[in-house]
Amino acid sequence: MIAALAFYVFAAILLVSAGMVVSARNPVHSVLFLILAFFNAAALFLLAGAEFLAMILVIVYVGAVAVLFLFVVMMLDINFAQLREGFQRYLPVGATIGVVLLAELVVVLGGWRFAPEATSLRFAPTQAGLHNTAQLGRLIYTDYILLFQASGLILLVAMIGAIVLTLRDKGASRRQSIARQVARGPADTLVMVDVRSGAGVGEIGILRPLVDEPEPAGDAHAGHDHAGHGHGGHH
Amino acid sequence: MSGTSMNWVLALPEIALSVCGMGILLVGVLQRRDTFRFCSMLTVGAFLLAAVLVISTGQGVGYRGLFTDDAFSAFVKLLVLAAAALGVVVSLDYNEHANLRRFEFPVLVLFSTVGMMLMASANNLMTLYMGVELMSLSIYVLAAFARDELRSSEAGLKYFVLGALASGLLLYGISLVYGFSGGMGFTELAKALADPAHVSPGLVVGIVFVVAGLAFKISAVPFHMWTPDVYEGAPTPVTAFMGTAPKVAAMALLVRVMAAPFGHLLGEWQQLIVLVSVASMLLGSLAAIGQRNIKRLMAYSSIGHMGYALIGLAAGTQAGIRGVLVYLVTYVFMNIGTFALILAMRRRGRMVEGIADLSGLARRDPAMALGLAVFMFSMAGIPPFSGFWGKYFIFTAAVQQGMWALAVIGVLTSVIGAFYYIRIIKVMYFDTEGEAFEARPASLSFVAAAGGIFTTFFFVFPAPLVAAAELAAKALFR
Amino acid sequence: MHAFLQTPLGVVILTLAEALALLVPLLMGVAYLTYAERKVLAAIQMRRGPNVVGPFGLFQPFADAIKMVMKETIIPTGANRLLFLMAPMLTFALAMIAWAVIPVNDGWAIANINVGVLYLFAISSLGVYGVIIAGWASNSKYAFLGALRSAAQMVSYEVSMGFIMVTVLICVGSLNLNDIVMAQRTVWFCVPLFPMFIMFFISTLAETNRSPFDLPEGESEIVAGFFVEYSAMSFALFFLGEYANMILMSAMTTILFLGGWLAPFGLEPFTWIPGPIWFIAKVMVVLFGFLWVRATFPRYRYDQLMRLGWKVFLPLSLGYLVLVAGVLLVMGWLPHVA
Repeated sequence: MIAALAFYVFAAILLVSAGMVVSARNPVHSVLFLILAFFNAAALFLLAGAEFLAMILVIVYVGAVAVLFLFVVMMLDINFAQLREGFQRYLPVGATIGVVLLAELVVVLGGWRFAPEATSLRFAPTQAGLHNTAQLGRLIYTDYILLFQASGLILLVAMIGAIVLTLRDKGASRRQSIARQVARGPADTLVMVDVRSGAGVGEIGILRPLVDEPEPAGDAHAGHDHAGHGHGGHH
Repeated sequence: MSGTSMNWVLALPEIALSVCGMGILLVGVLQRRDTFRFCSMLTVGAFLLAAVLVISTGQGVGYRGLFTDDAFSAFVKLLVLAAAALGVVVSLDYNEHANLRRFEFPVLVLFSTVGMMLMASANNLMTLYMGVELMSLSIYVLAAFARDELRSSEAGLKYFVLGALASGLLLYGISLVYGFSGGMGFTELAKALADPAHVSPGLVVGIVFVVAGLAFKISAVPFHMWTPDVYEGAPTPVTAFMGTAPKVAAMALLVRVMAAPFGHLLGEWQQLIVLVSVASMLLGSLAAIGQRNIKRLMAYSSIGHMGYALIGLAAGTQAGIRGVLVYLVTYVFMNIGTFALILAMRRRGRMVEGIADLSGLARRDPAMALGLAVFMFSMAGIPPFSGFWGKYFIFTAAVQQGMWALAVIGVLTSVIGAFYYIRIIKVMYFDTEGEAFEARPASLSFVAAAGGIFTTFFFVFPAPLVAAAELAAKALFR
Repeated sequence: MHAFLQTPLGVVILTLAEALALLVPLLMGVAYLTYAERKVLAAIQMRRGPNVVGPFGLFQPFADAIKMVMKETIIPTGANRLLFLMAPMLTFALAMIAWAVIPVNDGWAIANINVGVLYLFAISSLGVYGVIIAGWASNSKYAFLGALRSAAQMVSYEVSMGFIMVTVLICVGSLNLNDIVMAQRTVWFCVPLFPMFIMFFISTLAETNRSPFDLPEGESEIVAGFFVEYSAMSFALFFLGEYANMILMSAMTTILFLGGWLAPFGLEPFTWIPGPIWFIAKVMVVLFGFLWVRATFPRYRYDQLMRLGWKVFLPLSLGYLVLVAGVLLVMGWLPHVA
């Protein structure tokens, strides 16, 4: 009884907050409702006995993905009035197309019939006596290892892409070389100079520290850019 | 789940290529100096290694039925690897001039190729999707690679947004197929669908969505809108790559999906493929006529070519699929050769892309003009060049199936298409002489020559290739 | 009596009682942690610390609390009222509910759930929301800058914390906190996993925004960071949340690496002392580490902080994870999964 009650409570909050994600006026509120929706989805997972999935949902989606969403939404100043303007204008056309599509789908799905095997195949084959976390692990890392690795490659490509398209190192930025700093002793930096009374530092000829500055370790890209210019210049 | 064995050796080419890719990435990151050329060479080497492994790995189904290696996948993988390697070679000179000499370029091409190989070997709808995503994501980035250029960023963004939409369609289709048939593996789907009682309208809708998603990748007609803009905006070597290897992989995937799991539903999808094919051929030949930019022209030309290739699939026979494979081979070589020559169109350090810029080329640079003429004749389908033979195999397959109308439309659109291909030849040979291009780098000459020799002399010794295609097509109908 | 506890009402009452039995000592602990901090800092800096209110200044926390309650709660104009007030409550509540799964003795946890570690990790990763929401809802640039810093910092260090936890988990073969402690009967994990223990401790400093990683509230640059606009009870809730989080993180360190309630080496005289005492003692040692670090190290620069997280801890923890997994596999020490 309590489980059923909890299910309806969580499901209701989930649906309402999902609705609010779309309809909230303030985009930050939308993201917060999204987080609430994630939470309730996690609670539903818990009720279904998939505690591992529930926790992962919270850790990954709420703890990491939604934080980035929130970042972006807070940083962008989205003018919703402007967006809605277009919405009003295209509403009739969009609604018509939507209704037509829906009608077609209803017609098509009139012949809705699941394959006889579908119900039995719906669940991944489970092994008795294994904890559901262990079973997930077996599915992901043993049965679907190929797909797991492929998705790893996809993420790697996404990362390379993000770096390629956005990283701009001007080559002028100075980097800290921790090893160099640690290796530096007083003898390398300190020079004892006999300063005559009444003479300024400039007159003695010390304007800069005597130690050679660490070379600005320019990134490989910056190097390319410069070299590219030089190359182009020859032609 | 069919085939519970792991058989991980089957994916050795993909594994080796990915490991090489990560190694090259490390080399590029850790070396502070300019490593573009070095990494490109390493990438070509990795492609060679993968090709050797493709030839030497055995056949079978592995990874619990997710992955398959057969003659078809080997054929497609070799073609894709060749196209990608040539794509890397043509990028060398351009990238150095256009200030794009970054080692990530070959690395992205490499990972994209891994995705294509995965597509060629897909034996499950999930593998299919992973392969498509890996391939596409790399190409989205490549299209926007010249990030300081507005056109390139726009091309990348456009491609990405539309590509994401296509991925959504594909996924939706896959979920419908899964829901209505209860399986994702090609083998089990084929087994289940052999019984017509298991075919429901929902399943057919799912197949339509899958076809739509894949048609986007091969830029067949209702889903071709992105092609001209992306072809024009992307850096030219990327266009060259995009126009060859991914097209081959996506077309091969479409063929496999249609033939293997949905082979028994030929009646359901044949009409669809015929329609897409006719529309692509018509649009490819008619819209290309007005183009002034050679990259846009190539975009429309590729739409048309995909239309022709689809005829073979529409025939739905082993001969038809053999035709598709031969067509793809000829397409890759003439396309990459053409792009190598387009990349050589540089005046005073700037790339030019207008067809008018080619005027009088025959007098300034007879070799280049001859090469382009060969490719244009071949694309128009004029014997004895390879393009003709590709079309020949396809049309005969259609005729054998009694699809006369389709074959006739194909021939008619070829005639229309010949108009704009031959116009380029006319511009080169009969128009007034324009300013000379800069000297061609050896890498471009090499690729153009390779493509040209294949295209010209294919008819002399077509037997091995046709036999290989025959073998590959047979693998799908086992 | 026993039968009553089986009824739904009885379960609810029992759970509430358990929660109170945990939270009241916890809040006392938080109060005296603030006192301990001031005393320890003072001792390290050769000062006296609070010594006026009560004997040895022992009533100082209560004096502070009364002061906080009496002050006026100021809500800046332009602030988002609802979120502004929600943020400190969220921070405080999260610091409290995490304690539901912490076992202070064998089986002594309010909820002995199968995925206890994940629950803790999930709750600690939520802590960032209190900070971000506070920063944004204050409608103040300093608060917002502090919130951005904090969010980036906490997300960065969570990654390596996750890897460190996984390393412990593969040595245990279970996600249950009770099992994790029981797996340390022969040797505490801080011995074989010593580098991970150190990294975990440093990551908890960053995760709780404590010195030397207290950039989100760096008073010399951004006044007081995300809670610059807060006053009175809303400020007190942040304050309590921060210290409760410190205790929580120390408890986590104790459970993962210091053998929880287990006596050292299971030796005879030590085992006479009951488990909860050991647990509290270990937590206090780790907490002392927090204070000691604060008194000793200057604040990190922001780029150094990010470098440490992404370029040092992430590769190290990943590498050590692979090493540990390899060793366990090769030596056949992998725990048998039930």
